[in-house]
Amino acid sequence: MFPWQKNKTEAIEKRKVRKISRNMKDNVAYIEEQYSFGVNFDFESRSLQGPAAKYHLFFYTTTVSTKQLNDDIIKPLLASKKPIPIDRIVTVSSLNSIKNMDDVEKGLNIGSVIIFQDGVAEGFEASIPDFKHRAIEKADNERTVKGPKDSFTESVTTNISMIRKKMPSKDLIVESIDVGVRPVDPVSLVYTRDLVNEKVLENIRNRIKKITVDNIRNVEVLEQFLEERPRSLFPTLLYTERPDNAANYVSEGFVVIMMDNSSSCLIAPMTIWGFFHSPEDIYLRWAFGNFSRIVRAMAYLITLFISAAYIAITNYHSQLVPIDLLLAIAASRERVPLPITFEVLLMEVAFELIREAGVRIPTPLGPTIGIVGALILGQAAVEANIVSPIVVILVALSGLSSFTAANYSINHTLRISRFLFIIAASFFGVLSLLGAITIWLTYVVSLNSFGVSYFSPATPHTKSSDGTYFRKLLKNVKWRPGYLKPKDMDKQ
Amino acid sequence: MKNPLLILCLFLLPLLLGGCFDQKELEEQAFIVSIGVDNTNQKGVFRFTFQIANPEVGNSASGTSANEPTQEVISVLGTDFLTATNAANATVAKQISLNQSRILIVSEKLARSTDFIYLMQSAPSTVDIKLNAQLVVSKEDAEKYIRHNKPQLESRPHKYYQYMLDRAKETGIIPDAPIVRYFQITEGDADLFIAPYTTTEEENPKFGEEDHYKAGEIPVNGKNQTQFMGSAVFKEGQMIGTLTGEETRFCLMFDSTLTQKDIIASYTDPVKPEFQVAGRLEINNVDVNVNYLKDKQSTIDVYVNYSLNVYAIPSTVNYMKNTEKQRLLEKSINKQIGERADNFIKKTQEEYRAQPFYWSLHVRSKFLNIPEYEKADWMNKVYPNAKVNIHLELRGLEFGKIMRESEIKEVRD
Amino acid sequence: MELLKKPLRARELVAIVFMIIGLKGGDTTPALFADEAQNALWLSPIISFLVILPPFLTLMYLLKKYKTKNLAELIKHLLGTRVGTILGILLFISAFISMATDMRNIVEEINYLYFPDSPTTVIYAAFLFICLYVANKGLDTIGSLAWAILPVIAVTILSVMFVDLQDSVWQRLFPIFGSGASVVIKDGISLSSVFLEFFLLTIMYQAFQDTRKFRIGIGIGGILSAMLIVSFYAVYTMVFDYNTIDNIAYLYQESTEVIPLGHFFTNISTIFMVGWLFSNFLRFAIFLYIVCWLYGALFQIKRFKGLLVPIGFLAMIISLIPPNFIVNELMVRKTSLHWISPIYLCFPFILWAASYWKERRKQ
Repeated sequence: MFPWQKNKTEAIEKRKVRKISRNMKDNVAYIEEQYSFGVNFDFESRSLQGPAAKYHLFFYTTTVSTKQLNDDIIKPLLASKKPIPIDRIVTVSSLNSIKNMDDVEKGLNIGSVIIFQDGVAEGFEASIPDFKHRAIEKADNERTVKGPKDSFTESVTTNISMIRKKMPSKDLIVESIDVGVRPVDPVSLVYTRDLVNEKVLENIRNRIKKITVDNIRNVEVLEQFLEERPRSLFPTLLYTERPDNAANYVSEGFVVIMMDNSSSCLIAPMTIWGFFHSPEDIYLRWAFGNFSRIVRAMAYLITLFISAAYIAITNYHSQLVPIDLLLAIAASRERVPLPITFEVLLMEVAFELIREAGVRIPTPLGPTIGIVGALILGQAAVEANIVSPIVVILVALSGLSSFTAANYSINHTLRISRFLFIIAASFFGVLSLLGAITIWLTYVVSLNSFGVSYFSPATPHTKSSDGTYFRKLLKNVKWRPGYLKPKDMDKQ
Repeated sequence: MKNPLLILCLFLLPLLLGGCFDQKELEEQAFIVSIGVDNTNQKGVFRFTFQIANPEVGNSASGTSANEPTQEVISVLGTDFLTATNAANATVAKQISLNQSRILIVSEKLARSTDFIYLMQSAPSTVDIKLNAQLVVSKEDAEKYIRHNKPQLESRPHKYYQYMLDRAKETGIIPDAPIVRYFQITEGDADLFIAPYTTTEEENPKFGEEDHYKAGEIPVNGKNQTQFMGSAVFKEGQMIGTLTGEETRFCLMFDSTLTQKDIIASYTDPVKPEFQVAGRLEINNVDVNVNYLKDKQSTIDVYVNYSLNVYAIPSTVNYMKNTEKQRLLEKSINKQIGERADNFIKKTQEEYRAQPFYWSLHVRSKFLNIPEYEKADWMNKVYPNAKVNIHLELRGLEFGKIMRESEIKEVRD
Repeated sequence: MELLKKPLRARELVAIVFMIIGLKGGDTTPALFADEAQNALWLSPIISFLVILPPFLTLMYLLKKYKTKNLAELIKHLLGTRVGTILGILLFISAFISMATDMRNIVEEINYLYFPDSPTTVIYAAFLFICLYVANKGLDTIGSLAWAILPVIAVTILSVMFVDLQDSVWQRLFPIFGSGASVVIKDGISLSSVFLEFFLLTIMYQAFQDTRKFRIGIGIGGILSAMLIVSFYAVYTMVFDYNTIDNIAYLYQESTEVIPLGHFFTNISTIFMVGWLFSNFLRFAIFLYIVCWLYGALFQIKRFKGLLVPIGFLAMIISLIPPNFIVNELMVRKTSLHWISPIYLCFPFILWAASYWKERRKQ
């Protein structure tokens, strides 16, 4: 524990210590002071004079369902003629008794109404949350043609319900771990009890518990705290917005990490292949799925290497190019003022600009700017002899190919790696390009994600269904991935 | 702060390094499509002619100038290929690259001189010249040849050579002669090397059977007079003679190392000798059997399987349905080929005292080690005295798509 | 945290053996054999393999007998610390020299064929840097990487074979014994230490899931490598002739250079550079790693990865002493191999004798 955390912990301890008093006035005074009643406009402190007893309610007007509050809490309380305990009056499904002020705070934060009764050293927390979130929408970032269309939304309960719907099983565990202190945020781990490897699970739990930051609001931030090498180009957690994808991984023995306020989840541990496999591969028929994998594999190679290879070959190994092609390239370069390396870098940077602008641009302006960008960069640059048409083709091809990535996280990896390779190729042609690839591969192979080698099951080899490069017929998929060491390997 | 700076430096480095060491922008290079070599009066000094392709011609990219010539031909003196490229750089601004040159043209005069082998020795030690480029012998000076050669259909000069050599090789009138083969055979010192023979000058043209020509003898009317026909024979790295197209075909036919291509040829009609039968000859398999006898006359048995696809029977003799006549045709063709082949082999034994069929390969397995083999001296002792038997066998006879020849006499009625 | 302890299995070792030994089919080693044996250069490695088989099997037998030891530990255990260290140093020095000369050859090859205008030192430094980076990641990574790259290399090898066979004439294998059976046998024996890596690899004996995996891996890898080397050498003979083959230094590249694939792809040799370079980066990363490991094991240096950079640079500086490739290959390498061969052929028997004597004394 670091010294600067001491103060915060002390405050929490104090709150825990403070018990709910028999005297309701004390409680009300304490809470009103704690919650800046009067300043905080949505904090409501309301006393109710029922026929039999005096009650006091605390709640945030913005987080509870007003209808439920009226129908299920206030009405019964006012109607009850005998001084019976609150838990026998209030008609909400989730009602807990609370003993200290810490529970009060927790309850208020998750959208409950806190009910005190005069003369009782006990409060009640009636959970009637009504946090606003988007409805379930179509998956926008990981689209498939065939397969379920729903995507996670920014509410962990909705998300979990979607997974539960896909995997109705008592072995599906949703475990909650708290992270951060101001405020505390719950992180949900979803896994299958009889499959998941305990060591992996324990590792994930430990890493979450070790996070010492004040607050983490969503999995996007959590991801960076969990990763072993935050500076690395390679993501070691799969970030997906598809509940079907998440459910598939859970049923293989992976762990899904979720938080409220994130319309995606994280899947751990992840190998590099996970980023290249799309859930659609399984939904499509065997031949179609594999065809799309081949196309994607080609696209990855193109996006990573084509510009670099062009630089290496034209600058250093022109003897390799067939003479017709060579003359064509030479002719197109005759009037271009820039060296090839410059030319390619210029276009690649320009393409990155279009892409970056495309993400940030307000939707109504999008198409206009897109056309202008494409026109300027493609047509006009060639006409003005700034770049040669071949380079435009190559850059467009490599840019287009980078979008075939099955997962957005790997998209950046590919794009940045491409620049590294382009620079490498300009030093010593194929020698330095291959050297860079070797170093790159060495790095990938040496990585590991929550104890699982990043390149498995290809190497180090473990028993699995060999779905790494090509998927098999589903009836031949017999094993869960062995690199996870699941409790049950056998799938059939 | 350290890291972004470092990355920035990395990004800037290639810009500093641009143009270093072996980096060469494409447009800074001049691509030679053919090299011609002639000898000069001075021994050891050669005249090199480089044909440089102009990349801009034949390109549809906007903004290219249309008036530039398709090629530039320059001639310089030099002692070997590298010094010549350096000398050529005195007039050509771009760096000269021999990488893409697919053809090396040597004048007959140079090929016949003793200097030739010294020139060739310098070729493999340069990285630039590719050993799979074709070696071609031109009747006139190579410089003249390159300057005269004006292909009409191909806008890019290299295409012409490429198509021409490929096509001529397919029909078998010129051999496949990469430079590496020149070295293999010359260094092996047991066989003759043959290279395509070509010219742009027409000389006493006459009409004969389609392959009894050498380059320059074919009567062609057209703008471009370039002809590829027949081959030049090299013994011990030096040219000693020329072969006609037909003789070249025999070389290809009997050489098991070369891919056998089909040959279109005509033969005397056995039934009506005043007519000819034309067809495509396909060599299926060549088997050479050498019976080496020390200090005695060795025998060489050559077994050739071929099939014939008859295209034209101007005599209108009905071979299709008559097996008797087919047998007659078969025998006659065997005999005709056999006779010509025998004549040719006799010529090689007597005139060249060596053979261009790479048959030394087949005698090698009779020896255990190289010293023994070299002592036997295939080139000088064994082959010239050997008895050569050619066994021809027709495996398949087809008559194309026509069921029978139309009866011209009846048509005339 | 690692879920898998000692993840390396037999297949990774197969890949490693293939890289470090099998790729001698594609470097300058064939030129070394062809120098005297001419077209029988493919027979010499067969002799070499046969010659190193008995000492190698003896070594494997000893390793199996003393279950928990690797090469260095075994030597020290059997011969005592002092004598063991001396023998170990001999092995180290010969491995070091062999690595240095090989590395120079490869660098010269890259330099001459692809970057003729660049200074050798720069290419060398770039090459070494890459090897050092890979080696620095440790054995698990190297093994995995070797296995990951193996498909690329296999494709390269198969396509080179395919291309070369287009233009090869099998009759060129004859006369079968080249410049004489005695030359072939002599060459095969005296140059057998070309394959000394077999002995060096046993330093990894304990690094695999279990030692059986190591034995399987080195067996399969060795057989595959031997097949590759012999068939490649035979193909070289079939492409070039006996008089040409001993003139050519870089048979692998030249053999692909002389053969065009149709008339569109006329100069394809650079394509085959891809697999070739990959494998050579890995090969010297492994070699460097093993040599450092041996050194570390001899002098009880646990974190021997720190030695990679000094040993690598020492090798680079030493190997740059010969003025050119010919001197390096045909004089330095050949002479050193003549000296190294007896050491490697004899030391397993010395170990075996020591083990035998020890047992006798116990009884």
